[in-house]
Amino acid sequence: MLFNRFQLNSLKRPSSLCLFIVCLSLAMEMTALAQSVCLPLPRLLTITPMGGRAGTTFDVTIAGENQDDVSEFLIDHPGIKVTAKLNETGTPVPNTFSVSIAENAPAGLVEARTFSRLGISSARIFSISNLPEVTRNQTNTTREQALALMVPVICNASLTNRAIDYYSFQAVAGKRYNIHCSSRGIDSKMEPVITICDAQGRDLVVERKGAPLDFIAKQDGLHYIKLHDLTFRGGIEFFYRLTLQELAADAPQPTFLATRPIRSFSWPPTGLAENPATFEDETANVQTITLPADIAGRFFPAADVDVFEFSAQAGETWWIEIASDRFGLNTDPAMLIQKASGEGEQRQWVDVLELADISSPVKTSSNGYAYDGPPFDGGSTDILGKFEVKESGSYRLSLNDLFGGTRKEPLNKYRLLIRRAQPDFAVAAWGLHAELRNGDRNALSKPAALRAGGTIAFEVVTVRRDGFDGEIELALKGLPTGVTATGLKIPAGKMRSIVLLTAAENAVAGWSQVEFVAKSKLGDQEVVRPVQIGQMAWPIVDSWGEIPHPRLVHGFAVSVTSSEAAPLTLSARENRVWEVKQGEKLQLPLQLKTRMEFSGAVVNWKTWGAGFENHPAFNINLSEPLPETTLDTKTLNVPAGEYTIAFYGVAVPKFRYDPNSVIKAQEDIKQAEAQAAALAEDLKKVQESLAATAAENKAAVEQQIAELNGKKQLADMALQNATSKLKTVSDRAAPRDTAEIVISEPVSIRVLP
Amino acid sequence: MGRWNPSRIPRAIGCLIAILTLSLALLANETPSINTTENNTSGTDTTVSESPDNTSNAPPNPQRPDTQRPDTQRPVSFINEVVPILTKAGCNAGTCHAKAGNGQNGFALSLLGFEPKEDYTHIALEGRGRRIFVSSPDHSLLLMKASNRLPHRGGLRLAPDSEDYKLIAQWIAQGLKYDGETASKLVSLEVQPQRGILPRNSRQQLKTIATYSDQQVRDVTNIALYESNDSSMATVDHNGLVQTQDIPGKVSIMVRFQGRVVVFDASVPQGSPVDNLPPSKNFIDDAVFANLKELGIPPSTICDDSTFIRRVSLDIAGRLPTAEEVSQFQQDTSSTRRDQVVERLLTSSEYADFFANKWTAMLKNRRDDASDMISNFAFYSWVRDNLLSNKPYDDMVRELLAATGTVIANPPVAWYKRVKDPKQQLEDVAQLFLGVRMQCAQCHHHPFERWSQDDYYSMAAFFSQVGRKPTATRGEDMIFHKRGVAGYANAKTGVVQRPTPLGSTSVTITADEDPRLRLADWMSAPENPFFARSLVNRYWKHFFKRGLIEPEDDIRDSNPPSNPQLLMALEKHFIQSDFNLKELVRVITTSQTYQLSTVPNEFNANDMQNYSHYYPRRLQAEVLLDSLDDLLGLRTDFPNLPSGTRAIALPDNSYNNASPFLRVFGRPENESVCECERIQSSSLAQSLHLMNSGDVKGKLANGSNRVNQWLQTGKASQEIIVELYRIAFAREPNEKELTTALAYVNEPKLDANGTPIDPPRILRENFHDLIWALVNSKEFLFNH
Repeated sequence: MLFNRFQLNSLKRPSSLCLFIVCLSLAMEMTALAQSVCLPLPRLLTITPMGGRAGTTFDVTIAGENQDDVSEFLIDHPGIKVTAKLNETGTPVPNTFSVSIAENAPAGLVEARTFSRLGISSARIFSISNLPEVTRNQTNTTREQALALMVPVICNASLTNRAIDYYSFQAVAGKRYNIHCSSRGIDSKMEPVITICDAQGRDLVVERKGAPLDFIAKQDGLHYIKLHDLTFRGGIEFFYRLTLQELAADAPQPTFLATRPIRSFSWPPTGLAENPATFEDETANVQTITLPADIAGRFFPAADVDVFEFSAQAGETWWIEIASDRFGLNTDPAMLIQKASGEGEQRQWVDVLELADISSPVKTSSNGYAYDGPPFDGGSTDILGKFEVKESGSYRLSLNDLFGGTRKEPLNKYRLLIRRAQPDFAVAAWGLHAELRNGDRNALSKPAALRAGGTIAFEVVTVRRDGFDGEIELALKGLPTGVTATGLKIPAGKMRSIVLLTAAENAVAGWSQVEFVAKSKLGDQEVVRPVQIGQMAWPIVDSWGEIPHPRLVHGFAVSVTSSEAAPLTLSARENRVWEVKQGEKLQLPLQLKTRMEFSGAVVNWKTWGAGFENHPAFNINLSEPLPETTLDTKTLNVPAGEYTIAFYGVAVPKFRYDPNSVIKAQEDIKQAEAQAAALAEDLKKVQESLAATAAENKAAVEQQIAELNGKKQLADMALQNATSKLKTVSDRAAPRDTAEIVISEPVSIRVLP
Repeated sequence: MGRWNPSRIPRAIGCLIAILTLSLALLANETPSINTTENNTSGTDTTVSESPDNTSNAPPNPQRPDTQRPDTQRPVSFINEVVPILTKAGCNAGTCHAKAGNGQNGFALSLLGFEPKEDYTHIALEGRGRRIFVSSPDHSLLLMKASNRLPHRGGLRLAPDSEDYKLIAQWIAQGLKYDGETASKLVSLEVQPQRGILPRNSRQQLKTIATYSDQQVRDVTNIALYESNDSSMATVDHNGLVQTQDIPGKVSIMVRFQGRVVVFDASVPQGSPVDNLPPSKNFIDDAVFANLKELGIPPSTICDDSTFIRRVSLDIAGRLPTAEEVSQFQQDTSSTRRDQVVERLLTSSEYADFFANKWTAMLKNRRDDASDMISNFAFYSWVRDNLLSNKPYDDMVRELLAATGTVIANPPVAWYKRVKDPKQQLEDVAQLFLGVRMQCAQCHHHPFERWSQDDYYSMAAFFSQVGRKPTATRGEDMIFHKRGVAGYANAKTGVVQRPTPLGSTSVTITADEDPRLRLADWMSAPENPFFARSLVNRYWKHFFKRGLIEPEDDIRDSNPPSNPQLLMALEKHFIQSDFNLKELVRVITTSQTYQLSTVPNEFNANDMQNYSHYYPRRLQAEVLLDSLDDLLGLRTDFPNLPSGTRAIALPDNSYNNASPFLRVFGRPENESVCECERIQSSSLAQSLHLMNSGDVKGKLANGSNRVNQWLQTGKASQEIIVELYRIAFAREPNEKELTTALAYVNEPKLDANGTPIDPPRILRENFHDLIWALVNSKEFLFNH
């Protein structure tokens, strides 16, 4: 009633209403600030340097998030050997490794991960080159401090916040220099801006779109390269590899490899020839082709429209696929098919079919206030569609780039395929994102790092090609011991599924490279396609403020840790197939094991699994170890068959980060204190003995005192460090409300007829 | 505060203010009905010019029959007589019965009579005809109110004995006939004379002739509306009597009647001897000097080298010349040294920074949210890089107008983030790139122009196929051409208008073509009457303070240029140079006209539009802040930007929040397409800010500033003073200045206890005072 009265009053007094809203907002803000999102997962974020030349050995330093006690630094290339870096006493230097790249390793991008206390990390790009490399080791944020580069070279560095990096090189008039800054394509956050300046520092040319800058020197002498982020951000996350090389005047533009965007998982179709059958005739207004066709072309010059004329017969069905956006280009192909009507001067072209955009298999995030879809977009501005020929005759296919009206970019290429149906599918998967609290906008990398007793979910999506509508089986081979996978199916006609990975409570820490594949039958033939994994290049806790950059990664590594257990485990009380007669109710006995304190007494659970997804959400009190839920096959209209379901919800455990580290730190302090005390005692004794020492022996005793003083200082320092570490790990281990998706173990159900 | 400009404020308010202004102008005039001088109507016997020049006494054409004679039998036309009388009387002004909403006290008329059918309904039919009394017209509410016989807030608008009153009464008595379908159409309007040379302080009676579709010719002098484009040069009364003032130059009188506009152009010569013109250097000088000769206004002399290098550095690069540049320039004896300075400035990065700052403000590069930062930086950089590489202006505009894709891949897409509605897009494009203000035409026929609502929506149709797709970036869309036949429905008639360039016929654009590309084609065509003209006029104003057409973004028939030959020549040169912006800057700044002294001679002090001398203007906010920093060898620190970033290189408006200096000196918030959003006038707050503000005092006291550093190294006071003058004024102090300054900096001082202050501190504080005095001088604050 008080609240009601307040409302009435506040309606009459806008200022009170405003005050109320402000207070409410502040309260919500404070609540939001007090709560973290997602339990910590290991993420490898930086490698310094970010790559090296084939045939060289060098040290790299790594850094990341939630990576304690890194035991392995893994680079997925057989030609790269990694060993721990040892200090002079033979002890491994934390987070530092020695990397040897084989002489014959081809230039390219490979991926690195770490294995640490919490398991396998997210992936980070590591580059192999065939050019000399340097790592910047001096400040170069003024022209006077410019780092001189010899041509050719690759320089590894990272930006300083609110600063410009300066490099210099000696140019020869008339020579062509190619300058490129690899950044986004190798997982950096940097949006590079390259400026070439003359010896007086005057800007000559600027490149801001991440493309290579071709520069032909007009005069001999010193030139500068200015390098900065578009908005002058900096820090270790803003790393780059600056390539400077001289090219022959007629040499083609070098290729700089980059990571692949999520949307490219559906390209190319299996079995597509590397080279197209034909090329676009850029001189022709209309190019005559015959079907089927495989044509490469480009959207150039600006507002280019490529027109292909062909004959087609009534009753034919052609599938048209166009790729350009999926090459990682910023293009938007649009296609129109028209049919010839009339003859001679009366001939007209009548619209028959328009195709645009491959839809995302799932609704993606709108970047609104609340979560409304994953931040991974499996769709594309490319084209994939069907052309059913109703009438025989001449047709024209017009192809243009909806983003190309004014852009003159000769590298904006496309590939056009017109084929008879070749049903097929492509599959991608990523760590499940879901609304963790009101307004959650996080976009985090979610490596498959399980906690003992925990279940994590991967969202699996497919792009179906040429009318393929069949069921897709998913398989994971080589999971670590104690880890099982469930939900391995994308139902016929569906685009999405959830795969659950569950770690047994007693699973032993370890990791393995898993083969994740999708299988189906195309006609009589079984086909196997890889499931490509997506991850965020960077963990972003608020995608309003920073644009997420999801990308595809190589391979799928799964780990389990025993250093921490999952906050809770919900499972059926018995590990068996639960049977129920069609139309009857199944009283499902569950058991709940909690391993932490929670904020909130109740978790609301929803249900995954075909047939049971409409099971009403139900609450389980976290203090109730033996809850139940009743599944009504009549209301749910579940036909007879075998089912696997799971329950999921959001819980807020009071998570403590590595509490064992506190115990260890306390022990370390005790040990350091004891050592310091022992040394102090020894020192005291020796000092007291000095007075009674004969003159000829005094020097030896004084020497002993000096040595003990030195040891004492070191021991005091060690004690200070241990105390400091205790504070750090204690702060880190303090209970913190952390919203997390919680998932039950899968439950098998058999519905009997 | 700067002058009023409708584009700085929302459309509805803008239109309202425009209408209010117009209405107030109408109401300020004595109403024709009150003035019973009926012999003005013929126009033949009303010329009261004191000028001996026959031109100004030219009689109206006696051959034209005057059909407007008292004739009680003649049917009175509602369309051609009643409505114009109401317009002339101000009844359908925006402040009166055409006020948005429901008119005035329930009686609504269309603005300036543009919708006569609606007016007829309101007058004759609404309220069961309560406003009209056919059997006794004098007792009609309409006339009772207009003649103030019943209380009327608008006062007396039609005197009962006036011809206009009688005509309306006659129309009522004749049975309130609506002749919307049958009335002859106005086919032309003519003012006599069309142009003339009027001595200062003289008068000229204008005669306005309307010709109708039925060949009828009417003298509408006393029911047409008149307005001067510069009342300080010439005024005009409600009957078309022009009175020139004491200022020489070009002035125009706009004459409006029934939606048409004609203009009387007058030259008001000063008649002084123009004997010693500087040698002409290019076509600009030819045109300016010819005009000055015609007007008899002798130009000032050419400015000295110091003034030139400071002026041109500020105008091209937005910064003071460095002391080294000044020294080198002073030592250069070549005859082309001024041209070389221009070349050097045009290749400088600061040129691109300064003009990008100018353009991005008008292109609304505004930060409303932290997530705007990347797109704002990208857009600013795109403009800046294009200026640096001197991309042809038409290409730049084309890339902006027809931008597609994402901001990161194609930064001009950012403009579509700010300007989302096709109507707003057309208005901004028209005003910014064509110099045409279309805002009014959305709701009614433009009162000063020929643009109708159909014209408005036909232009909006060019933007009707702009498609949007969501992106992962908050608030940002991918822009693409949405296939389809372009068209935009006229909000009033519902008729879909096809894309039609202004003043042209509609163009056929297929569903596949992006109409914006066709708009860009039309704009950059050499024969386009607006595109090049608008740009050269805008740039001319940048360098001369006043546009050849003023305001610079209000090009219309009724607002002619002060020097049409010069405008035409500039336009031609710009087009022939392939829309080369640097060449335009080059040709302007290397002209003798640009290099004239600010100091007027005894004959040209009054001239404010013919460029007989350079018109000084206050440095704009960013330039002033940079200049202060240059003088002190400091840089203001701006959030998120590298140390050393100049204020002229700030990418968006967000930096105003943290800089009271920029706000006080009028840096715009990038909300408007109009340059007038930048406040260039002076204010008390500015004076106080320079005198007392913490940031200025902080800079003076900053131990790192160059004077404090020099003092610490023991540099001689005289050398410091000379150096400061070089930086601040691009010259060395004269003997008197040097003596005074030296005496001041060495002056001893006592503290509050009467104890002498130690000499180093005294010297430092006295130098701070000296710098403060230099900064507060007009010579520093103004470009001159």
